[in-house]
Amino acid sequence: MIDLALKMLLDEKARFAATVLGVGFAAALVLVQVGIFAGLLQNASITIERLDADLWVASRNAPNIDFGNPFPERYVDRVRSIPGVERADNLIVWYAFVALPTGAKESVEFYGLEDFPAWHFPWDVTSGDPADLRRGRFVLLDASAERRFGAFQPGDFREFNGRQLKIIGRTRGALSFTTSPIAFVDYRMAQLLAPADLDGRTTFLLIRLAPGADVETVRAEVRKRLPYNDVYTRDEWAARSRAYWIESTGLGLTLALTVGLGALVGVVIVGQTLYASTTEHLADFGTVKALGGGNRTVFGIIAEQATFAAALGFGLAVGLTWALAPVLERLDMKMIVSPMLMALVYAGTQALCLAAASMSFRKVATTDPAIVFRG
Amino acid sequence: MIVLEAHDVSKVYREGPHEVHALRGVSLSVRRGEVLAIEGPSGSGKTTLLSVLGCLLTPTSGRIVVDGREVDPHRPGQLRELRRHAIGFVFQQFHLFAALTAAENVIYGLNLRGWTGEKARREAERVLRSVGLGERMDFRPRDLSGGQRQRVAVARALAGPSSLILADEPTGNLDGESGARVLDLFRSLARSEGRALVIVTHDPRVRTIADRVVTIRDGRITHEELEN
Ligand SMILES: Nc1ncnc2c1ncn2[C@@H]1O[C@H](COP(=O)(O)OP(=O)(O)OP(=O)(O)O)[C@@H](O)[C@H]1O
Ligand SMILES: [Mg+2]
Repeated sequence: MIDLALKMLLDEKARFAATVLGVGFAAALVLVQVGIFAGLLQNASITIERLDADLWVASRNAPNIDFGNPFPERYVDRVRSIPGVERADNLIVWYAFVALPTGAKESVEFYGLEDFPAWHFPWDVTSGDPADLRRGRFVLLDASAERRFGAFQPGDFREFNGRQLKIIGRTRGALSFTTSPIAFVDYRMAQLLAPADLDGRTTFLLIRLAPGADVETVRAEVRKRLPYNDVYTRDEWAARSRAYWIESTGLGLTLALTVGLGALVGVVIVGQTLYASTTEHLADFGTVKALGGGNRTVFGIIAEQATFAAALGFGLAVGLTWALAPVLERLDMKMIVSPMLMALVYAGTQALCLAAASMSFRKVATTDPAIVFRG
Repeated sequence: MIVLEAHDVSKVYREGPHEVHALRGVSLSVRRGEVLAIEGPSGSGKTTLLSVLGCLLTPTSGRIVVDGREVDPHRPGQLRELRRHAIGFVFQQFHLFAALTAAENVIYGLNLRGWTGEKARREAERVLRSVGLGERMDFRPRDLSGGQRQRVAVARALAGPSSLILADEPTGNLDGESGARVLDLFRSLARSEGRALVIVTHDPRVRTIADRVVTIRDGRITHEELEN
């Protein structure tokens, strides 16, 4: 079979290139935007995903990991005795001001645990040992803090809410949606940093289940014993934290707008060029019909062209996104383009290109094959 | 054997409140190997008649029989079927696909008729050679002269099994010599391959190859004469 659709495209390379370029930029816009959004969102729940806890107990209606409300730390004892609970500990997530050498003050979000190694947390330690945190006035600071706090080395001291703490190591990848850098301190030190709020109190309770224990059974028992708290599975808690930021920042809407805009630009470009090309080739399509082709044959040609434009455009979009990744990385912006996102954008590109082609379908369907006899 | 019959065919175009009676009861028939020329002044209905005969346009009334099969205007599928298997077209504007080479143009036409692969390629080569373009098979239309383009179009119409070839002003865009060459081709191929050929034309030279000439005026056949 002669592939007329493809040969027509190759015969008009400039127009086809313009189409592919349009589709490519539109799809790249969507990929990059959604990728950056996914990267930001991942910050909103990354500590939840990395902490080795199956259940989270939070104060009632706590919206996310960053905004917990203190509750009595003794609650942990009620949980530890529940059958099926292997380990339960308090976790403090709170804020402090850090006095910088420049004289400026910046906020830091600190995580306080009694036994960091027991929770395999933090997960990417580049220097220092979290087990040492309990041995003194020590702090581990995430490398991402350098952008706000300036360069720091293990051995440096910084003042956290008026207390001198020694930086004993660095971590990587511990980020928060609030953009406050993350620090790790011993649980008691965490309470000392904000005694007014945290004396005898914690903000979360982490539970790890014994092997074979049933999540829902344990959760029901926790709820019974702590009726004024909320209990989440890890996934629920991560989703809740992310949902909070999507809704409260309007990022969801912005994203929908961007995606919609990208889609619109793509459809208009493809629709416009396909339509122009179809109009120019009406005599060709009339000839196809005169030679015995039906509307299906002609639609097939246009659909194939749309499909080529979509496929190449998507390829270009992936290339553009890939080229942009190192630039974003240098700006400390995380972009997560998952296979799922790729698949969705590819399917969307194909669908929209076909939708754009449908304008041309109508034009062709209503074309009288007898036009081949007219000038 | 009769390839094409038209009985009392009328065609009315409706443009809003206006009606154009383009054909008013035309009857004719064409046999295998016969060349029929249709003449007439501009606007007399020649193209309309050819469109109706070629199953591109459905008549307002009247009957068409192609290859012994009665054309049913209410079955677009059958019209397409007839175009695909029984009818070849040659147009004044050639209507070759610019993106395809001469050979590909012919092969694509065969593809639409259901011929594929080696069979289509061999048939395309055969007809292109028979129109004298054996050396130009891989040329694009834009690299061919007008006369050569029209010969590719003739090859496309002749390729495959079509028993009826319909041509509208096939020499209209050609200079004298190329036109004469195309007409010669038409005559010899119609005769040797036993196709029926209907040529609409203003070109007086067509008479020299036609077996019969009908004149149409205002949608009616007014005159019919045997030539040669
Ligand atoms: N699609 C159409 N809609 C309305 N009227 C039409 C249409 N096609 C043709 N006509 C009219 O029908 C009549 C016959 O037209 P047709 O094209 O068949 O003439 P023709 O003999 O081929 O003329 P020419 O020698 O100039 O090509 C003309 O009056 C024309 O205006
Ligand atoms: Mg005409």
